[in-house]
Amino acid sequence: MKFQKKRAATKQEIPTASMPDIVFMLLLFFMVTTTLREVDILVQFKLPEAEAIEKIENKRLISYIYVGNNERIQLNDNIVQLEEVKDIMYKKRVELPNVIVSLRIDKNSSMGIVTDIQQELRKADARRINYSAMLKQ
Amino acid sequence: MVKIKKGSTRTAEIPTSSMADIAFLLLLFFLVATVIDVDTGIGLSLPEYVPPDEQITAEISKDRMAAILINENGDVLLNKEVIAIPQIRQTLIPRIESKIELPKNKKLIVSVKTDRKTNYNLYIQALDQVKAAYAEVKEAYSKTTFGVRMLDLNEEQMDELREKIPIIISIAEPESVK
Repeated sequence: MKFQKKRAATKQEIPTASMPDIVFMLLLFFMVTTTLREVDILVQFKLPEAEAIEKIENKRLISYIYVGNNERIQLNDNIVQLEEVKDIMYKKRVELPNVIVSLRIDKNSSMGIVTDIQQELRKADARRINYSAMLKQ
Repeated sequence: MVKIKKGSTRTAEIPTSSMADIAFLLLLFFLVATVIDVDTGIGLSLPEYVPPDEQITAEISKDRMAAILINENGDVLLNKEVIAIPQIRQTLIPRIESKIELPKNKKLIVSVKTDRKTNYNLYIQALDQVKAAYAEVKEAYSKTTFGVRMLDLNEEQMDELREKIPIIISIAEPESVK
């Protein structure tokens, strides 16, 4: 007499038909969340550390100003002179009334340049600023 | 009659078996390209620009003012007393708390002033201390008044909190360079 192995009648495969759908959904999520605005950072800087920091809620409102350790200023994508900051920021502010300026300043800079930039920003009426800082460990 | 044989019907299908692979490839690209770094920092609103000859000076009672001065050597003065930066928070907390119930025009004003040669990091540390002091007072107020943590407050309570404890940080007008 032959014994027949009992096997479950159910299929033992994971259905892959819906896999593309799932992957597309993930893909869509990442496509939506990605902000493809890679900025070439042309200055060197190290951010200061702080504890009482807050998140900037709306990323699309941010303009970046980088100040490197040799006091060079980069506004979004270009190296600029201090005098140019006002005009560029004024144009930005007309386009985007509640622009937030994120100041990414090297922690060993002196306050002189920071004050100068702040004065320019005040003249351009772009008054919402954020001193970028890392969370202190 | 001769039957005309029809040619076998061709099925025109796009092969979908590789779709998943293509989708995965795209997914991988976006996964790699996405930068999920949150921008964190200390937020502040600068005062409106007023040309120097139109500026008017307003007297503010000493009781309302907390003036922080940082010089180029990193020495810190709070209301003309030498203080270490980590102490700023503890010194400010009682002063902020004492003014919670006062009307809007009597709240504490924190002024931060630096030299041109002051280190930026020190300035941020001082500002951080001020912010931390406010955060602590707000948290305590929220716990005693509403019984919940600050994060769990609703919009209305948040507004009340903001009104009771407004963060007024004044960045002093820079002095003209000699």
